[in-house]
Amino acid sequence: MAAAVVAERVGRDYGAVCAVSDLSFEVEPGDVVGVLGRNGAGKTTSIRVLTTIVAPTRGRFAVAGVPHTRPDEIRRRIGVLPEGGGYPARQTGEEHLVYHARLRGASRPSARAAAAALLEEFGLADRARTPLHAYSLGMRRRLGIARALVNDPAVVFLDEPTLGLDPAGRRVVLDHVRAVAGGRGAAVLLSTHLLDDVEACCTRVLILHHGRTVAAGTVSEVVALAAAPRSAVVRVAPDDARRAVAVLAATPGVGGAGEAPDRPGELRVDLAAGNGAADPAAALRALLDADIAPLGLTVEGARLSDAFLEMTGAA
Amino acid sequence: MSAGRSAPGWWVVLGQELRDVWLGGRGPALTFAFSLILSAVAYLVATNTALNFLEQREAVGLIVQVSVAMGGILVVIAAADAISGERDRGTLEALLLAPVPRRQIAAGKLAAALSLWPAAFLVALPYVWFLGRGVGVVGDAVVVGLLVGTLLALELGALGLVVSLFAGSNRVSLALSLFVLLALFAPTQLSAGAQQGWAGDLMLRANPLTAGVHYVGRVLVDGHSLGSEADLLVAPAVAAIVLATVALLASGRMHLRPGGAR
Repeated sequence: MAAAVVAERVGRDYGAVCAVSDLSFEVEPGDVVGVLGRNGAGKTTSIRVLTTIVAPTRGRFAVAGVPHTRPDEIRRRIGVLPEGGGYPARQTGEEHLVYHARLRGASRPSARAAAAALLEEFGLADRARTPLHAYSLGMRRRLGIARALVNDPAVVFLDEPTLGLDPAGRRVVLDHVRAVAGGRGAAVLLSTHLLDDVEACCTRVLILHHGRTVAAGTVSEVVALAAAPRSAVVRVAPDDARRAVAVLAATPGVGGAGEAPDRPGELRVDLAAGNGAADPAAALRALLDADIAPLGLTVEGARLSDAFLEMTGAA
Repeated sequence: MSAGRSAPGWWVVLGQELRDVWLGGRGPALTFAFSLILSAVAYLVATNTALNFLEQREAVGLIVQVSVAMGGILVVIAAADAISGERDRGTLEALLLAPVPRRQIAAGKLAAALSLWPAAFLVALPYVWFLGRGVGVVGDAVVVGLLVGTLLALELGALGLVVSLFAGSNRVSLALSLFVLLALFAPTQLSAGAQQGWAGDLMLRANPLTAGVHYVGRVLVDGHSLGSEADLLVAPAVAAIVLATVALLASGRMHLRPGGAR
């Protein structure tokens, strides 16, 4: 199956300012790719280039097999939720979807049918005739994703779809994102700086920093590139705490351990300073071998957020 | 998705823009304001006629001139909002993401802005009929008004669209468009002496607005035939064609940022 998106050394300058440089990656159909980066990293510019809103200054890319030299054809095959959303206050949800479906070539009856189905799918059917100025932020985001699907696209670009939403609203939007990839088989590029969103629903990650790609791959691949377990919190029975500290201190891969003040049974374990590779599993095995039952283990420094901070110099 | 016949992009944009203008309230509000101004002018003209200060033909000519000028202002207000307004409201990107050529988007928006002109002229028709009844000028007034008003509406709409494409904000677009419009109208306020001689005549004929307004006066007030003063329509016709062409060509450079490179 052909790749949904192929970008080769794509760059975009605004005058003397390089917004994106050497953007190279591939996305397969059904993938949900998290495009990560700090503010100003080039996420929105990358999406605008790939969605043909702005032309690349250099490099080339293809979306759904269509080269970037045919922007109208690319726009026929993609769905986009832009950063600004773009919701005319006076239009109703139904009018908005019908309008965008017709702009993408649907006849009026087909557009109405598609709008009705999407409003139902996104839980907005009962607000179909409500003007958009009366929609909540979460409803607008759902409508924006629905709008991105009116032409049954091969690739969907979502720019900060969960920004400003409460936890429940975020979960609903991310459920829809997963459904777009899983149910429709579309590739999804999700631009965000919310790392939890990426860990929750992305199969692959692309990290941008100062307009350059600094990492690309699955979440675990990217984590392995830069993140490493640095410390852990182990909980044991308070009576076992002193013995557990001694066992852990003697374990290869563990630099040291100590009891947390005022928290009986909670041990802070230093993994990064140990001799040899940090190994949280070795610490657990050592406790079990010493007949000490671990009641909990939290490893710190091995999450996507740790890799992201390491790669973007914000650690 | 493809069942039934799909409409061209400009037609879809036009339909939505017409809904926005007329059902969104802007069109009716502007037309209502226009009708108030026209009522005030017609009242003054009618009362002057009763006092024999103004002949009926002059009264009709004045009403048609006011209608043509005000119709142009309504069109330019709507056209100046077409692109810069979308930018300010944050809705332009979603529109540009549609697989519709940007010239078609501009054409649909220009056509919707032009819809204010026939509406304004419809409002003016009862006043023309009332003031012109009995002197056989109503038919000419309708033809001349439609002809001149359509040409001026097209050129002013195109002017507003071009300004809207490149203006940094909607306020700038509206202010600049109205400033150009007033600058074009300014010669009509010059004294009769300043409009004499070859320079005055050139200024009158070269400026599409003054030429159009004078054509209305020559036909309706002076009683000249429609064809005998046709040379006064050259500037409005050329301006309409040139500005509409420029607007459609420039709209190929419609960008998210005003004047930004693709």
